Amino acid sequence: MSSLDLILLTTVTPLAAFALAILFLMRQPRLAQTVVIVGGALSLAGAASLLSQGPVAPLRYLWFASGDMQLRFGFLLDGMSLMFGVAVALITLCVMVYSLGYMSHDPGKTRYFAMLALFEWAMLSFVYAVDLLQSFIFWELVGLASFFLIGFWYEKPSATAAAKKAFLMTRVGDVGLFIGVLLVLQVAGHFDIPGLLAADGGLISQATPAVLTMITLLIFVGIVGKSAQFPLHTWLPDAMEGPTPVSALLHSATMVAAGVYLMARLHPLFMGSETTLGVILVVGSVTALLAATMAMVATDIKKVLAYSSISQLGFMLLGLAAGSLFAGVFHLITHALFKALLFLCSGLFIHHFASNDMAHIGRRGGRRMRFATTGLLIGGAALAGIPPLGGFFSKEEIFAALGHDGVSAFSVAAFLAAFLTAYYTFRMIFLVLNPLQVEPESHVSEGHDRAEPWSMALPVALLIVGAAIAGFFGSDIARHLGLDAVHHSFASMVPALVVVALGVLLAWLDFGRPSSARTGFIARVPSVERLFLNGWYVDAFYDAVVVRGTVLVATILHAAEVRLFDGNFDRFGFGMLGLGSASRRLQNGWVQFYGGWAAIVLGAVAVYFGMGG
Amino acid sequence: MTLDSYLLLSLVLFCLGLFAVLSHRNLIAVLIGVELMMNAASLNVMAFNRFSVADPATGQIFVLIIIGLAAAEVAIFLSIALNLYRMRRTIDVEQLTELQG
Repeated sequence: MSSLDLILLTTVTPLAAFALAILFLMRQPRLAQTVVIVGGALSLAGAASLLSQGPVAPLRYLWFASGDMQLRFGFLLDGMSLMFGVAVALITLCVMVYSLGYMSHDPGKTRYFAMLALFEWAMLSFVYAVDLLQSFIFWELVGLASFFLIGFWYEKPSATAAAKKAFLMTRVGDVGLFIGVLLVLQVAGHFDIPGLLAADGGLISQATPAVLTMITLLIFVGIVGKSAQFPLHTWLPDAMEGPTPVSALLHSATMVAAGVYLMARLHPLFMGSETTLGVILVVGSVTALLAATMAMVATDIKKVLAYSSISQLGFMLLGLAAGSLFAGVFHLITHALFKALLFLCSGLFIHHFASNDMAHIGRRGGRRMRFATTGLLIGGAALAGIPPLGGFFSKEEIFAALGHDGVSAFSVAAFLAAFLTAYYTFRMIFLVLNPLQVEPESHVSEGHDRAEPWSMALPVALLIVGAAIAGFFGSDIARHLGLDAVHHSFASMVPALVVVALGVLLAWLDFGRPSSARTGFIARVPSVERLFLNGWYVDAFYDAVVVRGTVLVATILHAAEVRLFDGNFDRFGFGMLGLGSASRRLQNGWVQFYGGWAAIVLGAVAVYFGMGG
Repeated sequence: MTLDSYLLLSLVLFCLGLFAVLSHRNLIAVLIGVELMMNAASLNVMAFNRFSVADPATGQIFVLIIIGLAAAEVAIFLSIALNLYRMRRTIDVEQLTELQG
């Protein structure tokens, strides 16, 4: 098949599955889930064969033209998009299959699977987009699909609130992104991504440095919203209200990954502005540290993973902003695999124990779930950055990129964040696997059977393998990006290893030792612990300033509307009505009444003029 | 005889006519009132003609036109009254209030 057939197979099948499910199969959930999974599998097959065919020239089709501006729609099939497309399709398919088991008893199954298909279509189309406006459209569709999925259990007020929060907060960033995209159009006159990135005649040569800085900063605002960076990160932990497989999807290959992917896509533009890179380095390191501290004290297993996602996304941006496209993309892909794995494993625990609390899961015997604990260990080790798992190599790339120009504050921040990552990851592992006491196994089943159904076990097994071996594909990824493979000496890995070992050791002292109290070292400083537990009061700040302020303004405007505008218009209208009903009493059809009045008025006029004259 | 006494007579006539128009329920009586008012107006015009205009013909032409108009008006008025009576079997103006708001 030609590239066009394949790319259409990849992107259009999920859309077709979505349409079929939502339009015709609302009453046949079994058929709907089959359709969606077949669509996902076809999509993965298409993406994989595209990758095996290798990069081809971009496909562009005229959408419409207006004056000199031509809007094109098409597919950019270079190494980055081909690679990431496979990651998206693979992880989405894993999540779909996993959802067969996880959502088997949910009455809204058809809607759920249809939304997964919509999500996949939007994300894949975003990944392959050749046109910046096309990217933006699908970027928004990704946000829409995640809104539907986060708020999937819409009977729960917290879920609808989380969905709204996710939608609105990403919208804040998207306003910036949209302005940036329009600025690109104004400067370059087109949206064609390869054209914008071209070394000669591209945006860098067209825009003055100040304008380029403005464009990249505005695009970065969109990335901050989408990839949940400080200060727009607070929607992501709340997004845990959705079903766990959705969290797995949202946190790994789709939604939050879109922001980092956009930055990787436009990497040459970002490299053109020192100011923007500085801003990104600051935001990335602040986010990585802040989110890591919040993960240290969270008790909900999904919250820990959510904060770790925020932190790792900060890492990716650090890598990209430090100038290494490879480091950012490599970490994006390894993170997608191990974070999907971790979420799906946490889903196994949550499904079985009907609880999100790590200590609770540990006490009830989480360690007896061999399969899930294996996944948790592998995924956790990859997240913490233990060699030879995926996370170690990709993080190592980021450290190398940051340390390129000597030790800076940013590399110190990155090492500190990596230390905290190892600490909170192993805190999670120890809390689940090594609690102070374990209740004896009860044979009364709580919620669900212990043995995982095949549909949940298979994706987890696949992702365990993926997370374990992803680190060895670094040179392949570099080759797909058109870069030389980077090899690091053992000596350069020592600091990263030491940092990780220290983190694990501290976690063991706090949570792993048989005699330890199972409280973190941070609990000795209650004020700091409170700060971390409350997420540095960012949400409280938003609540007090943004939400309350908006509500206040809205209340004032509402009062003004009701009293000033509505009130006065109503008064005017009712006055006219009263005037009308009063004056209609004058028109009683009695000729002599009219005549009498006419005589009185005319007489009065005559007398008036008679006197005046 | 001064102008004032003519005008006073004319005013009395006019008011009597107006009173007839406004107070009588019978359409024919209303018509008679209207005729009275017209004659008052004619008298008025003739009085002004007699005391303040050089050429006496002006006022007379006016009055002749008014008399002619009055005759035409009576013809139309009576035919309307007749038709009304045919349709409604009444010429009581207080019952003819179809055009009220």
